[in-house]
Amino acid sequence: MTNPLLPLELQILACVTLLAFSGWVLYLVRLQSLSLRDSLLWLLSTGVVVVFAIFPRLLQDLARAIGVQVPSNALFALAILYLTLNVLSLTIVLSKESTRTRRLAQECALLRAELDAMRARVERLLPA
Amino acid sequence: MLEELRLCAPSWDVCVVDDGSSDGTASVAREKGAVLLRLPINLGIGGAVQTGYLWARDHGYDIAAQIDGDGQHDPRHLAAAVRPIEAGTADFVIGSRYLSAGGFRSTALRRAGTRYLSWFLGLRCGAHVTDPTSGFRVAGRRAIELFAASYPSDYPEPEAIAFAMRRGLGVEEVPVVMRSRQHGSSSIGPGRTLYYLIKVSLALILLPVERRRNAELSG
Repeated sequence: MTNPLLPLELQILACVTLLAFSGWVLYLVRLQSLSLRDSLLWLLSTGVVVVFAIFPRLLQDLARAIGVQVPSNALFALAILYLTLNVLSLTIVLSKESTRTRRLAQECALLRAELDAMRARVERLLPA
Repeated sequence: MLEELRLCAPSWDVCVVDDGSSDGTASVAREKGAVLLRLPINLGIGGAVQTGYLWARDHGYDIAAQIDGDGQHDPRHLAAAVRPIEAGTADFVIGSRYLSAGGFRSTALRRAGTRYLSWFLGLRCGAHVTDPTSGFRVAGRRAIELFAASYPSDYPEPEAIAFAMRRGLGVEEVPVVMRSRQHGSSSIGPGRTLYYLIKVSLALILLPVERRRNAELSG
């Protein structure tokens, strides 16, 4: 089957790259450098891009459906959306983490103060 | 500062929050017999002040006063600031430098910014506060519990007033005379004033959503 939209070589290259990327993500999960939960968005969004690489017609249809003249522009728009979603999810996680870190630091300060008080009491009761 | 507190307010327990500093705050506080809350990492003013409120909540204090460590605030005003809370007319009292004559008043630009914030705060939640950025505050039990559970970060002072208003807490102001800082400099330079105003305005506009999220976190 000849495909005027995407040469076969390019299709293969795209698929290999995307699969390698997914493989890397999975490897990071196995190394426990990336949690499975956080990897899901990457795997899912990469999977969507693979589908578009294998069936470029879908991209063309999508471009036509939303009124974009050049299919590659639809691709760019999708790519930007993909990155935006991933970065946003990252920022949400980061904000949540910083709230939690703040709580931990505060707890730490409170515990240190309790420790100071306890130490002072012990020293009063049992002078060294 | 600590000396002065002991002289002017001998019945108060003093608690010093050291927000990850390396300037000897910790040893001074220990020497003067204050409770020291030493944060392992720098949290910024919001997180640091909240630590104080957490301490007050966990130790069952009915009244907590918040005073800057740089000597701007005169502890002699504490007695007057506590009165509305003891009388039960307010849960949260702010010391306003604009209600009193004299004292340190900051630059004209800052004053204009303060007036704008005061107006905006009134518009947004009906608060009549002349000095919304004042760091001289006294909180009653309800305010202590609110701030321990959720306190804004970054530039928290005006937002904290809004939090209190939204929860239906009574907010009052008392006149205080502020001095210029004995040491240190403001965290807000002239160039950052605009950023400050925009950030605080945005925070005030976005208030309801933020409150819901905080309620979820604390509940």
